[in-house]
This record gives sequence, structure tokens and C-alpha cells, in this order.
Amino acid sequence: MSDDIILDFRNVTKRFPGVTALDNVSMQIRRGEIHGLCGENGAGKSTLMKILSGVYPYGTYEGSIIYEGKELNLGAGAIRQARDEGIAIVYQELTLVPNMTVGENVFLGKEPSAKGSIDWSELYANTRDILAKYRLDVSPQAAVKHLGVGKMQMVEIAKALSENAKILILDEPTSALTESEIDKLMEILENLRGHGVTCIYITHKLEEFFRITDSVTILRDGKTVTTQPTRQLTQEKLVSYMVGREMKERFPRGHRQPREVIFEVAGLQAVDPNETSRTVLDGVTFNLRRGEILGIAGLMGSGRTELVTTIFGEYGKITGGVIKLEGKEVHISDARDAMHKGISLVPEDRKGQGLVLMQSILKNISLANLDQFSTFFRIDADAEMVAATQQAKSLGVKAPNLQAQVDSLSGGNQQKVVIAKWLLSNPKILIMDDPTRGIDVGAKYEIYKLMNDLAERGVAIIMISSELEEVLGMSDRIMVMHEGRSTLTLDIAEASQERIMALATGIADEILPV
Amino acid sequence: MAVSTNVNAPKPTAGIGAELGRRFRSNIQTYTIILALVAIWALFAVLTNGSFLTAQNVSNLFRQMTVTSFLAIGMVFVIVTGNIDLSVGKLAGFVSVVAAYFQANVWYQMMPNQPLIAAILSILIGVGVGVLFGVLQGYIIAYLNVPAFIVTLGGMFILNGLILLVTQGKTIPANQPYFSEIAQGYLPPLAGWVIAAIVVVFLFWNMFRSRQSRARHGFELPNLGLEMAATIFFSLLVVGYVYWVNQYRGIQTPVLLLAITALIMAYVSNNTRFGRYAYAIGGNREASRLSGINIRRSVFLIFVLMGLLSGVAGIVLASYVGYGTTAAGQGYELDAIASAILGGTSTLGGVGTVFGALIGSLIMSSLTTGLQMLNVAPAWQYLVKGGVLVLAVYADVYFKKNR
Repeated sequence: MSDDIILDFRNVTKRFPGVTALDNVSMQIRRGEIHGLCGENGAGKSTLMKILSGVYPYGTYEGSIIYEGKELNLGAGAIRQARDEGIAIVYQELTLVPNMTVGENVFLGKEPSAKGSIDWSELYANTRDILAKYRLDVSPQAAVKHLGVGKMQMVEIAKALSENAKILILDEPTSALTESEIDKLMEILENLRGHGVTCIYITHKLEEFFRITDSVTILRDGKTVTTQPTRQLTQEKLVSYMVGREMKERFPRGHRQPREVIFEVAGLQAVDPNETSRTVLDGVTFNLRRGEILGIAGLMGSGRTELVTTIFGEYGKITGGVIKLEGKEVHISDARDAMHKGISLVPEDRKGQGLVLMQSILKNISLANLDQFSTFFRIDADAEMVAATQQAKSLGVKAPNLQAQVDSLSGGNQQKVVIAKWLLSNPKILIMDDPTRGIDVGAKYEIYKLMNDLAERGVAIIMISSELEEVLGMSDRIMVMHEGRSTLTLDIAEASQERIMALATGIADEILPV
Repeated sequence: MAVSTNVNAPKPTAGIGAELGRRFRSNIQTYTIILALVAIWALFAVLTNGSFLTAQNVSNLFRQMTVTSFLAIGMVFVIVTGNIDLSVGKLAGFVSVVAAYFQANVWYQMMPNQPLIAAILSILIGVGVGVLFGVLQGYIIAYLNVPAFIVTLGGMFILNGLILLVTQGKTIPANQPYFSEIAQGYLPPLAGWVIAAIVVVFLFWNMFRSRQSRARHGFELPNLGLEMAATIFFSLLVVGYVYWVNQYRGIQTPVLLLAITALIMAYVSNNTRFGRYAYAIGGNREASRLSGINIRRSVFLIFVLMGLLSGVAGIVLASYVGYGTTAAGQGYELDAIASAILGGTSTLGGVGTVFGALIGSLIMSSLTTGLQMLNVAPAWQYLVKGGVLVLAVYADVYFKKNR
């Protein structure tokens, strides 16, 4: 390995309204190495890669990126330009056209042609050469929709390499792969390294850094913590670099007094309803008491969201296990049923699942509970207005009036509207999936206070969170999920960031001191 | 109605100018379309030396728009949920030939000299046929998951076949007494004035009742002067309309039917769960599902409603033209869709109003009438209508972007 630097980030800062996503990030990547990028959710990995691949063009960030000795200046049409410069990214979500063949996908947008018509034999011959060179075991003529996820990924890689990529960014490439597919991918990456292709490798699975990378950069809260050769690192060191920070007084804690168990889940198993061969929950067990906040921690893709949407009757097909509400076994068929049983879900994706953006605050708050205000056909507009106003007031929604469209509100206020909507039914159990995602610190604090109030009033709250600090700051107990399974449920007293991270990444719990 | 919870002090009442500005911006689409209508009328009035605005012409203009307006009202709901219905024109046509068939061939033999009962039975059968077809299409769309575009495209072909089966390629008369009154009748002038009086009283009563209710619940009241002005404006519109059509033969029965239907459907769209769910589903299907809304049932009911309104349109159509023909309802679905879209219904779903669709429909029928009066060749009428549709939607896109 030489000291030939192909890519040099110099003090890169990227600000979004209210958030600094990247704060003076500096990082050097050597030619031909596989460079790991490591950090918690929200540490800035994706933002950094979006700058590199041209999603955020030159000028929208501060600092500079030196690529092949020159400053990278991706202007308008930056994504295309990044590709032309030899920087290719393989996203977690694959971007292939399923109805086309492998060859068509690899050469999509740059089909070899003669006299205006596509030269099919050249296209397939070129595809075959690329696939053979990097030992990608796929047939050029196969239809992509018939391939497994692992093979699709190979096609993505081939597509990137067909453009003579010098740097290949792999963003969570193994999250959807089986063990043997992962082995295959590792072989391919070794082979790419042999051909001198530089890779940036992002993953949540720490063991993969040790399997494949030459060096690793750790990001935390938008800052670079360190870059080190992989052989100098251990998993424990990685974890402590990822989370190493002080806990601040950002989380109000009232006098919560958890009472009796209201909800129990034992050995819950479920499959993806659209693809029943895919297991999404593989043994989840926990219980929930009135008046407590149960935190669910786990990395993206660990099955957290799948768990709560399955409980809510809106996602997984349950194949095993028991759900008990107030001691009685229940089968929840859909959202309406869940609400009747006293369960509310504040969904993960505020704009996609929580709100009808083009409608007023009033209509959004009342949407799930119009029955309350309806007599036969008619909605009692006054009753609706009174109830919604009361909710909006008690949550502190800041808006000129309830007729304002929700898409004119800030993220924090939008989230309050979603919460108001779900509190209108007076739930016994409130499930909140990442309730403070993408909102500012002040609004977060208000939502925490609200959660405290609710818990003190006896509501049982399940809170999923991607932020470890938040989980530790707000929860009474913490359940950690890993690959669709619940691992331990920790009492807050015995939980620490390191322990949660160890459980979430699947490292044996014992190797860390408690 | 404000819930400015961060400040507890009552806000100073905004000036009328600011309030007007706010209202204008929040309803820019409605105002654009009304302005377009006024502009079109003014243009035709000038070009025809005023004959476009004569009582007789205005009366006919409104009478002409009724059939497609019934369809356009239903189409608003269909498009709002993110669907489309291409079969409505032919469904109205089929209903019209079925009604004509019964009027001409069945009742006459079963019970001669009972024209009133015959007319009522024809109406019930026609509307029933519409509902039945709506049930069938709605079931296939909502429960069997076949896209609405395809189901209703197929429906259009099927209805075309059914029309040919019923008519056997011939024209069936439907100009019997009573039945003709549905689309060709007029109310005596006095009845017109009574209706106008009732509407005006209702407008004022409604305004004060809503202010009272808001005050009782402690919500901020809108500017009284402005609300008065708006109510007076709408009252004058109603009185003016009645005065004008009374100059000719009085309020047209089909227009009265349409007005009642529109009021009911406008109410349904805003004040019932059925209506609210339609908008929510079109606005964000996923959020609606997670809110416990039964999407299948809502979509099914929307198509049943569309069938019902197509049935009504078909009856009015048969009565209006006085016979059922093989070409009945041809192309009406496109007029209905165009009216809804001109009136601000978003093809992406979630947005649209009954009121807007009526204005859209009035624009379409004004264009037809005005161009006919100017002896413009049919080819050019189509060109103008198509151009206006695209231009109107572009204007809307432009204003939204530059708001």
C-alpha cells in the first residue's frame, strides 16, 4: 500500500437549517485501499458521501475536496459529473430497472450505438467482459427482476465499474444480503482491490471492517474522531470512538412510577407480507408497564420499525409468538383495530406516513378520530375544532391558526401535530417511532416533556430511537434489537452507550465491562 | 379560530386590506378561475354585441351545462382519491337510452295514461342502473385491485355495446309529459323569487350562526365587515341570477336540481367522514391507512357515488334531448374531467372542490355556446377548448410557483 492519496477531504462543513451535519471533517483516502467509514446513525456518513457523489454540489458546503490532485468542483448536473470523474456510489436501495436485462442496466444511458440504433451485440459483449474481469457471476442477458439481492448488487457494481470508476462507494452493501452472499461480496471487493479500485465502505456491522478494510475513519456528531489502520483497532475501540462523549442535561425526567404490566410480547415472529420468505422478526420478547417509557434501540434495519408496525397490525405477517394486552391474548388486524384497543402509533416517517401535507392542521389532527365527532353522517365541526384546538394548545403547536396547511410548519411543529393526532384517541399505549428525528433541540425538549407528562399520567410509551443519548436519557428500560431479534432488556441503571452499541452490533455482551 | 399558543395576548385584528390579501392568496386558484370566467363572458359579450348575455342565452347556457356538471361533481371525488373514471359519459348515455326505452316501449303498454308514474319509474330505473354499474366497477377497482383507468376504459366499451343492444341502432323518443319537465321545465317567476329569498336568508343565518358558535368556543372571529360583504355579494349573485332568468322563462328545473346536488355534495365533501377520507386518501394514502381509514371501502363508495351521479346525468340527458340515441353521452367523460381540472382538481389527488368543478363546467359550456354564436367552425371550437384547458392549468402551476 502506497501513500498515494487519491482523495483528501479538507475541513468539510455542511450546514442545514438548524443543524450542522458535518463540522470540519478531514479525511484522507489512499489509492487502491478499502476505507471504512464508521459512525452512529446521524453521525454524518451519508451527508459526506452525498457531497462526494454530487448530490450536494460544490458551493453548498464549506471546505474542499482534493481528488487526484485537483479540487473537486461538481457544479450543476453534479451527479452525472461525479460519475464522469470516476466516483460511483452503490446505494443501500438498489437503483436498477427490474424489467431490463443485466446488460441493459449496466449500459443504461450510455448504450453503444451505431447509426442511431443500439448495437446489442457490442453491449452484451462489453457487459460480459466487465463481469468476467471482476469475476461477477451473473449472465449479461438475465432479467434483473429474476435475480436475488446479492446478484443485483453485483450488477450495480458492474454498472459503476463500466464507467471506469476509480472510487467506488458502498453504502451499507450487506444489509440485505445473506451470509453466503456477503462472503461472495467480500471476494469481489478483494478482487477490486487487486485491480486498483479504491473503495469507501460504509456499514453498521463492525466485524466487516475487520474483514475487509485497510483503514477506518470514525465520525461522530458530524466530526472526524480519528482515522486509523484497521489492524490497530479492535471492536471495543471502535465502539468507544463511536459513542465516546459526555451525556448532557438535555433530557427532563419527571417522577415516573411504572405500574403494572399492560402489554406483553413473547417470541414474536413475522415475515414480510410482500415476500413471505423474508423473515423480519425472529423472536421478540418484551413487556411494557403502565407509566413507563420503554426505549427500543438498534441499528437501522434491525427490525425496530417492523416490530412496532407489526404490533399495530399494519405490516408483518405474524408467524409465531403471542401478544397480550392487559393479560389477554389479542390479534390486532389493522390500524383501526389497534386504535380501538387503545394503541396509537406515531410513525417513523412524518411526511410520508404521519401527515396529509396539503391539508390543514385541524384536518390532520382529527383525521384518525372523526368517529368521535360524527353523528351518523355529519361531522360536528364545532366539536372537532374544540378538540383539535385543545390538543394543539396542550402540545404547544405554534401556528397562526388551525386552518394553516401543515406543510407550512417547521419539522418540530409538524411532529407535534402528528402526536396531537394520535393522542386524540386517548391511547393506553403510545408507540413513537423515532419521534425526534430531524427536529431541532428546542422542539425535542418539548416532546420529551410531553412524553414525561404522558407517562406520569399512566400512559405506557414505547419509544424507538436512533440516538443512543435519547434512549438513555428518556427510557426506564431499554430493549436492544439486532437482526430481527430482541436481545437483552436493560434496566436504565445497567445500560450504557457501549453496552447498547455492543448488543446492537451483535458483539457478545460479555466482552465489554459493564 | 387562532391557536397562537406561544402568545396569550389577543392579537390585534388585522386590517381589512391584509385580511383580503391573505384570503386572496389562500384561494388564488378559485379566484383565478372565476376571473377567467368573467373574462370569457366579457369577451363574448363584446364580440356578440351583447347577445351573449341576453336572458334567453344565459338561461340556455346554464341549462346546457347541467348534464356534464353532474358528472364533473362526481369526477371531483374520483380524481381527489387519485382515480379516474372514463366510463361516465357512456354510462350517462346508457342510462338515457334505458330510460327512453322504458318511456317509449314499456310503460306505455303496461299502464297507458299514467305519465307521472311512468316518469318516476323511469327515473328510479335509470338511477338504479347507474348505481349498479358503479357498484360493479367500484368492486373491481377497490377489492380486486384492477386500476381504475383500465376498469373504466373497459366499462366504456361495454356500455357502448349495451347502448347498441338497447337501441338496436335506432333513436328512441323520450319526450313524454312530466319526463320532459326534468330538463326542459321552468319554475314560475314567483317560485324563483321564493327560492332566492330562502337562499339569502340562509346565507345570513349561516354566517351569524357560525360566528356565534366561534364566539362561544372562544375562537378569533373573522372581520365582520368582510364577512358581511361576502355574504351580500353572494346574495346579490343569487338575486341577480333569478332576476335575469325570470326575464326569460324562470329558473330552469335541471339547474335547480344541479344546485341542490352541488350543495349536498359540497357539504358531503367537507362535513362527513366519507368526504374527508376521500381527500385524505388522495393526499397521503399511507398516512390514511395508518390512521385506520378503510381505503377499499372508501374507494368503492366513491365509484358507487359516481355511478349514482352518472345515473342522474343520464336521466337529465334523456329528458334534455328528448330521445335516446346510439351516440348518447359520447365524449362527456372528457368534458367532465376537463371541468374538474379547470376547477382546480389536482390530477395527483387530494385537492379539488365541487364549486370549482361547476365553474369549470360553466367555462366549458360558455366556450361552446359563445363560439357557436360566433359561427366558429366546430374544429376551431375544439382547438380553443383544448388550449384553454392547458393554459388554465399552466397558469395555476405558474401562480403556485411564484406565490
